[in-house]
Amino acid sequence: MKNDNFIGLDENDDGIDRAGFLKCMAWAGTGLFCIMSGGVLKSYGMSQLIDKATGRIKKGIEISKGDFSFAQISDSHIGFNKPANPDVVGTLQAAISKMNAMPSSPSFILHTGDLSHLAQADEFDTLDQALKSAKTGKIFYVPGEHDVLNDNGKQYLQRYGKDTKGNGWYSFDFNGVHFIGLVNVVDTAEGGLGVLGNEQLQWLENDLKGLSSSTPIVVFAHIPLWAVYPQWGWGTRDSEQALTYLRRFGSVSVLNGHIHQTLQKVEGNITFHTATSTAFPQPQPGMAPSAGPMKVPAEQLRNLLGLTSVNYVEHDHTLAVTDLPLSSAKTDQPEHQ
Amino acid sequence: MFFKKKYVVILGLGSTIAIAGAALPSANNEYKNLKVLPENISSKDLSKIMIDDFEDGLGVSCAFCHSLGKDSLRLDYASDAKPEKQIARRMMTMTLGINRKYFKFKHPMIGDSTLVINCITCHNGQPRLGDVEEK
Repeated sequence: MKNDNFIGLDENDDGIDRAGFLKCMAWAGTGLFCIMSGGVLKSYGMSQLIDKATGRIKKGIEISKGDFSFAQISDSHIGFNKPANPDVVGTLQAAISKMNAMPSSPSFILHTGDLSHLAQADEFDTLDQALKSAKTGKIFYVPGEHDVLNDNGKQYLQRYGKDTKGNGWYSFDFNGVHFIGLVNVVDTAEGGLGVLGNEQLQWLENDLKGLSSSTPIVVFAHIPLWAVYPQWGWGTRDSEQALTYLRRFGSVSVLNGHIHQTLQKVEGNITFHTATSTAFPQPQPGMAPSAGPMKVPAEQLRNLLGLTSVNYVEHDHTLAVTDLPLSSAKTDQPEHQ
Repeated sequence: MFFKKKYVVILGLGSTIAIAGAALPSANNEYKNLKVLPENISSKDLSKIMIDDFEDGLGVSCAFCHSLGKDSLRLDYASDAKPEKQIARRMMTMTLGINRKYFKFKHPMIGDSTLVINCITCHNGQPRLGDVEEK
């Protein structure tokens, strides 16, 4: 199958051309642990951090002390019960347990959408109940398209969108870092692409206006803000406008879900990172007739949800994506540069 | 040869298969313009059909069948503007008929996981069956 819309140019000379991009593509953990250090975001797949036998941090892993840490969970799909994973609550709880086993609790969790599978009240209830066991200060949410199925997101807003704008977008500051939660699932475009919409884009422009260019920015939304694979709706139609507002900043990290696999891309000072699902894997772009739940042998499911760690390091005044086995020291990290 | 032509005709019908026959789930679950699916269908059952049968079965998103509202980026679920939606209704009727006639279901319902024939039986993740290669 042709993948003509894959990234084919290495405009930033950072090794992230089509081939490099595919090399960086990998399954990651059932959750993502992020450390913000000096304005640089470092992220680690949960399953590479935690020793399955002991439930503790693996021996030999050293996590540098950052300014603070947070975790990302995505695509819990509570209510999903098809063969790709008949126990999505169990795998969500496994991700929470791994987070709770971290030596220091994350300051907060970002849930990047598809909390539920069918936007039913009992599904949201189950999610809330499971997340009560997470040792963290707060949980921030953005909706996925599954969370707004029945009512254009009214129930989602009532539950998770207090003090937000429009369809649920908002920003907050934490330890000098500006976090922005965007909603790109309520409006839609042909082919299932996400849409931010003019009202939200206007808000974003205003939200960023007063910030110094040296302010580290973390943007999180459900559907990727870059064209991962538009044929499957894996992109956001008007994301370019949002990125225009963000390009003046020295460090921008964009965290998304939706595609149930870890992909990374670096574009100037903007680093894009998609997270795995806690529920089920999806095929790699173009490697199946369409996107959707991918059934794998039961004994492989959790392994597929937890194989690769991702690290962001500062490089030549930009951010470069690095594949970083957590067990290794800084000197033997294979880099995609 | 005749069989193959017949097969192509059936595939052709399926080729424009669409998501819903359906309806906008409004706040109080009073759906508008349901013609094949039951009017009193629950929000959960309707969503399950849309996601599990149509979205996953055909590899499409809502906008494949549902048109955008006038001057809006929001879907008008009740609208019949897109031909794919009309074809989806015919496909649902056909599917129910096949299960009734050949597999002896007295009251087949779209979304019933016990149906012998459902969307994915033929579509296998493709919106148009012409795109499915014969093995």
